[in-house]
Amino acid sequence: MTGSAGTRSGRRDRTRDGTVMSPSGRAGRIGINLAAAAGLLYLFLPIFVIVAFSFNAPVGRFNAVWNRFTFDNWLNPFADEALVDALLLSLRVAAISTVVATVLGTFLAIALVRYRFRGGEGINFLLVLPLTAPEIVLGASLLTLFLSPTLWLFNISFALGFATIVIAHIMFLVSYVALTVRARLRGFDWTLEDAAMDLGATPTRTFWKVTLPLITPGIVAAALLSFALSIDDFIITYFVSGPSTTTFPVRIFGQSRTATPPQINVLSTMILIVSVAILAVGTLAGERRRRRTGF
Amino acid sequence: MTDGVSRRRFLAGAVALGAGVGAAALLAGCGGADGSDGSLQVSNWTSYIDPGAVRRFERDTGIRVTYTEDINDNNEWFAKNRAVLARRGWIGRDSVVLDDWIANRLINRLDWAVPMRADRLTNRANLLAELADPPHDPGRRYSLPWQVGLTGIAYNRSITGRDVRTVDEFLAVDGTTAVLTEMRDTVGLVMRASGADVTRPSAAAAEPAFETLERAVADGRIDAFTGNDYVNDLATGNLAAAFAWSGDVAQITRDNPDVRFVVPESGGLIWSDNHLIPRGARRPGAATEWIDWFYDPVNAARLTAYVQYISPVQGVADELARLGGPAARLVDDPLVVPTPDLLAEVAAFGILTEDDADTMDARFAALTGA
Amino acid sequence: MSGSVERDAQGRRRARWTPWLLLAPGVLWLFWFFYLPLYSLLRMSLSTKPSRFAVPEFSWAWSNYQQAFSDYGSQFTRSFTYALAATLLALLIAYPVAYVIAFRGGRYRNILLGLVVVPFFTNFLIRTLAWKTILGDQGGVVSLLRTVGLLDANEVLLRTPIAVIGGLTYNFLPFMVLPIYVSLEKIDPKLLDAARDLYSNTWRGFRKVVLPLSLPGVFAGSLLVFIPAAGDFVNAYYLGNAKTTMIGNVVQDQFLVQNNYPVAAALSFVFIAIVMVIVAVYSRLLGTEDLT
Repeated sequence: MTGSAGTRSGRRDRTRDGTVMSPSGRAGRIGINLAAAAGLLYLFLPIFVIVAFSFNAPVGRFNAVWNRFTFDNWLNPFADEALVDALLLSLRVAAISTVVATVLGTFLAIALVRYRFRGGEGINFLLVLPLTAPEIVLGASLLTLFLSPTLWLFNISFALGFATIVIAHIMFLVSYVALTVRARLRGFDWTLEDAAMDLGATPTRTFWKVTLPLITPGIVAAALLSFALSIDDFIITYFVSGPSTTTFPVRIFGQSRTATPPQINVLSTMILIVSVAILAVGTLAGERRRRRTGF
Repeated sequence: MTDGVSRRRFLAGAVALGAGVGAAALLAGCGGADGSDGSLQVSNWTSYIDPGAVRRFERDTGIRVTYTEDINDNNEWFAKNRAVLARRGWIGRDSVVLDDWIANRLINRLDWAVPMRADRLTNRANLLAELADPPHDPGRRYSLPWQVGLTGIAYNRSITGRDVRTVDEFLAVDGTTAVLTEMRDTVGLVMRASGADVTRPSAAAAEPAFETLERAVADGRIDAFTGNDYVNDLATGNLAAAFAWSGDVAQITRDNPDVRFVVPESGGLIWSDNHLIPRGARRPGAATEWIDWFYDPVNAARLTAYVQYISPVQGVADELARLGGPAARLVDDPLVVPTPDLLAEVAAFGILTEDDADTMDARFAALTGA
Repeated sequence: MSGSVERDAQGRRRARWTPWLLLAPGVLWLFWFFYLPLYSLLRMSLSTKPSRFAVPEFSWAWSNYQQAFSDYGSQFTRSFTYALAATLLALLIAYPVAYVIAFRGGRYRNILLGLVVVPFFTNFLIRTLAWKTILGDQGGVVSLLRTVGLLDANEVLLRTPIAVIGGLTYNFLPFMVLPIYVSLEKIDPKLLDAARDLYSNTWRGFRKVVLPLSLPGVFAGSLLVFIPAAGDFVNAYYLGNAKTTMIGNVVQDQFLVQNNYPVAAALSFVFIAIVMVIVAVYSRLLGTEDLT
């Protein structure tokens, strides 16, 4: 029940839920709406530029000055072969890293949320630390590890390349997955498991048939997040990639010193559209499921 | 529960999809890992070859080429590849193009370059006599120049308001200015301005030049250190003046006709880069044929017509004239077909001792703020 | 088999080995590829590398640390200063956005949140390059600022600390919006009602009730912006100049171009030590549970 503070009435001074607002409150309200709109505009400003310049026909090697409108770039999005190769490599790395990190991270999350055991708090802290470490330190430390075979205890020498990139990505993704899934598990109603077991299911069967399906949306969300993080990762990848393994961001960085072909904008816009589509589908599916089942 | 069934199927589907993608990716990744499909693996700087050359080479020789433009910086290339080269591995390339001083390091100091196959060098005699016997590769057994270039000053006339003819005038420009991240280029130009002899350089001789640079950076008269990205900034008007390479000028002036290139009055630098075959290369013979093909004056002319640097091959001027059109006009461009007067104004940076190189590199790194 | 499993207040069950079996793969991975590398970094920071081509040798070389501080002290202070500035700016921009989405978003909350996140599905480098275009000397922003008088006729934005800080602020903005939104959304509506009842002036209501309750989100967001911003090198690389280099630029250059591993490792280690101190203080104050 909303209160009836203040004696000034009149519909103009009432907010949507019926409380009363002072004139300064109204001004503040408009002000904060404006500030928020400005903030959102600020967020999208570079995106407009990126998409706009994907339709530019640059005069020289750099796509920084608007020349004239053209569809050519969109008709030949894969013209820069090295760039496309780099993008494919990024997708490969992201695919493998996401799968492995999701599995490892989900196990971690389930262990932390479903069970109480000694050392739980410590594990928690150990998980958070990689998230807060700056990327250059993650990259630099991995580089020193890969350069020092004796530390491996198996004395395997690891050439910088595909494997090292995947290893690095899995490393920083595991924490993200674990914490995301754990957050989703917080509100989980564990009595469902008890109900299943009361009905005669074994703990294993309960887990597979009751728990896991219900936490799947959280796992999928974490997997999508991991995929996006992996594709966009630059700093760590830059440190641990080898001479012949160039991912999409690393390629852009290296190439940007001598050329910025408009295909970069085209491919990035494509990735953006696909990501938005997946996000939209995911949200809609989640909404529908929620309305149907109440979960 | 139908919902349970659909959720289970969703889960199974997701896992299967993930496994499938992962497996496919793994397989694909394994296949492409060392990039060896038997073709000649060539590495070069960006926009450093004329567009049809690879196809024409493949047609003329029957050798398949995988051409990658992944060299952006000499130091960066070295840092990336040293581990593999030190281990006697294959870096994935049969042919690279690098500057003189790093070629010197690879050939003489570390033995990481492989001699060219003499029997495949049919056009060798076309090399300009002046370039035939450099200190870092006497007799040119390991390397052949790809292109020759000049280092000077490029400035945007409409921003500076006046012509920039000396290093001092460059430092006095009121606007954003940049010098090169290549230590020998930047320090070399300033050394010449201070009267030092760059053909016999040393850390001691470079002392006044370093002091000038350090003061300029501290005062804000030099704003940035750039690699090839000065091209972009000059073209878009984000830079008033910069130390620059001659071949980039044509590119810039197409974007922005206000930009000019000059060799400073105290003298500029001339450099050539080197085609090398790295140790561990799978196809050294094919790599030799690759560079040899560019020593045919016709192919050399086409290359120079596009990149607009100076060709190391004899007879290119005539071929350019024969090509007609914009290529023929390049014959009159002293930056592409240099006159003896211009050549007298430029000098090549000599070889430093390892100690001097380390000292100067460290001092330069401190200068760039890194 | 009917079983009633014993559960604690949070619904967790007691167990001995099962959790450890589940934890093992993830923990081992993190140990091998996060903690062991940190040790390797430490070792490298105490090694010497006499020449460019030598292999680093461990030798308790504390001089590397001394060199790190004496040669690069200014980059350290600069990095933390820029990061702090970026954090404050991000807070100023993000708070209204989070506030409006939380309290006025209604049905459109998820869409608005999506809008906040969507720009960051484009590549980080491209976004920074786009800022180079936007802030270009001949571009609209500079002209506008010159007309308004905020910039002198020949002052520019690119290659200045302002551009770098602007880039840092932009790139980490969602990390500030989302935690603040989460903590605002968690505020018990009854408290909001009480605030409205007690304070006819919305600003005081905000200051006394909403702001303090949103502080966990503010702290989390600040941490999530400050730390990556301090370690960034891309913004300084594209938007800065020789005097705006940050510790990330130094580490990148020393590791990947100069191959000067020992000093670079010392720099990295000092950096992460400082960061860990900040994180430890933070989690002592607020607990790590709230980070998610």
